Amino acid sequence: MELLLQTLLNGVLAAGVYALVASGLALAVGVVGIVNFAHGEFLMIGAFVSYLLFAARGIDPLVSLGVAAVAVFLVGAISYYGLIRPVLSAPELNQMLLTFGLSVLLQNLALLLFGADTRVVSPPYQGATLSLGGLSFGVVPFAAFGLSLLILLGLYWFLGRTRLGFAVRAVAQNRLAPGLLGIETQQVYLLAFGLSAALAGIAGVMLSVMLYASPTVGFAYTLKAFAIVVMAGLGNLRGVLWAALALAMAEALVSTYVPGGGGWVEAVFFLVIFAVLTWRSWRRT
Amino acid sequence: MKRVLVGLLALLGLALAQTTLRVGVLLPLSGVSSVSGKAALNGIQLAADQVNAGGKVKLELVTADDGTDPAKAVPALTKLMTVDKVDIVIGGLASGVTYALSGPIKQYKPLFLCIGAASSVVENAFSGYDQFFHYHPWDYHNVAAALDFFKSLYSQGARKVAILYEDGPFGSAGIKIYQEQLQKAGYAVQAEPFKTGSGNFTAILTRFKAFKPDILYWIGYDVDALPISTQVRQVGLAPKLVYGAPPSWPVGFDKNPLSSDVVGMTAWLPSVSNTESRKFSAAYKKQYGEITDEYMAPMGYTIVLSLAKAAEAAGSADKDKIAEALAKVRMDTPFGPLAFKPSDTGKTQYQGFDSSIWLQFQYLGGTRRPVFPKSVAARPLRYPGSY
Repeated sequence: MELLLQTLLNGVLAAGVYALVASGLALAVGVVGIVNFAHGEFLMIGAFVSYLLFAARGIDPLVSLGVAAVAVFLVGAISYYGLIRPVLSAPELNQMLLTFGLSVLLQNLALLLFGADTRVVSPPYQGATLSLGGLSFGVVPFAAFGLSLLILLGLYWFLGRTRLGFAVRAVAQNRLAPGLLGIETQQVYLLAFGLSAALAGIAGVMLSVMLYASPTVGFAYTLKAFAIVVMAGLGNLRGVLWAALALAMAEALVSTYVPGGGGWVEAVFFLVIFAVLTWRSWRRT
Repeated sequence: MKRVLVGLLALLGLALAQTTLRVGVLLPLSGVSSVSGKAALNGIQLAADQVNAGGKVKLELVTADDGTDPAKAVPALTKLMTVDKVDIVIGGLASGVTYALSGPIKQYKPLFLCIGAASSVVENAFSGYDQFFHYHPWDYHNVAAALDFFKSLYSQGARKVAILYEDGPFGSAGIKIYQEQLQKAGYAVQAEPFKTGSGNFTAILTRFKAFKPDILYWIGYDVDALPISTQVRQVGLAPKLVYGAPPSWPVGFDKNPLSSDVVGMTAWLPSVSNTESRKFSAAYKKQYGEITDEYMAPMGYTIVLSLAKAAEAAGSADKDKIAEALAKVRMDTPFGPLAFKPSDTGKTQYQGFDSSIWLQFQYLGGTRRPVFPKSVAARPLRYPGSY
């Protein structure tokens, strides 16, 4: 029983960061209507902001969270203005190729600037643990989960309770009508894409403490984020949290209970997506 | 006028006597093995500069990045062979990449000086290729060296080993041998695969908790070092020893408090006390302004010096004559004496080093300290460690 509870706890804690990364991606897909393959590289920028501030000035990653959010928001906004906006009316394949190119460009830029080395951030609380009954878990994953939850709740509040949030949702539902009603569609897109990037940047700071900073750190999480967004339904922000939870749980259960399950982690993600998409198509027919 | 003529003739004589070699260097300068690849390149460049300054052999290096990726390595080798027209290639650091290179190498037939690639799969792939010089020990040598250490831990009361291994060729190739040998040594063993870079080990480590291992032994890459060190504490596994076997460790890991007491295996450390090691460390510091802990740096250095020695002995740039001379090379290196002999299985003809070069170190006070075998130990092993 203790093993099961510990496994479920591991799954819940992992789901927080998954949901944070996937929410940013869902925002870009749902509002701007663009599949952003460079989302993982925005995460990587956040990780490097955290590493550089820590290595150069000893700045705690908790402080870097705000800096990274603003910095990556700006990178996202510039990317939107310079690259995404001109192709918004282009075929989807062109948009995808563009964001894929942006991903390759940013990754190689990081390789040129920092090299391919894996770099670690070492705040004093990195290995701190908490015990609850027979269960044991890390302070950092727990805090990352809590922070992710808070940010996501803030995002839902913003979208559901503020005028600007209404405008974002309106644009997400219909690209033309909000413009006719005086909503600045381009500014909403800019805000949504910048926010999407900022969420990835914040997740990057968290991952710099939990994992490492390197030019390729975003890749694995982008794959998982795509899986979560697909499972939730493209652009469905509320579904992201549940999809992240379901996939993280599946991953934890298989890793714990299936012999050799650690090697199946990535396959589990995509098996669940397979099952969900197939189930959806059966339900429709 | 006469003096000028004599000087010119002397220079001409020197140029004629000098053997010029164009050498391809194919290393992982990006990807998961890049730390080792860049260290190796530094060592190669350092030795090449020394050889060129000596004046007897002139080395022209043509460097290419294999990206720790077979899909990048094969075209890079093809370019070295067909465009850059090299006859000698130094490379083959990661096993998976080197295995993929075995076909093209046999096709273009360069003199291949292999710096890494410990997997027996690579030994099989190059079986019968007579221009293959493998400097690095094979995986069975690694197993033998690690087993000596584990036997000494057994005498200190360790009985159970949990093995975490990445599921690619690097982690999986020798895993069966490890398990069998450890069981033969009296250990109870539980082994689990993982995806390198996934960063999530809590589930597997939670599973290990029921097994209550004395030793957690992980075989993966630098990206896995910090997540494993952190999550061992987070799930409360509390092993008596964490033993890691990545090809290289992350930048800054030694200064991270979570690295404390972690044990690993290496072929060389700057503190190794032999004349060639001291010479190498001093030259490296002079050229790069820092000391390296990566054993691939002296390995690259050793390969180039042995190649230059062979070229000098052969008195020719012909790769077959150089290979013949290299087979007879006897020299002292930062790792100890080097002399080529057939591999233990007899599948390849020219094997440089064996299990004797390996040593175990422990992260203590922010640096790697040799702790085993006793002949090289700078201080006793902290066992049980605090994780």
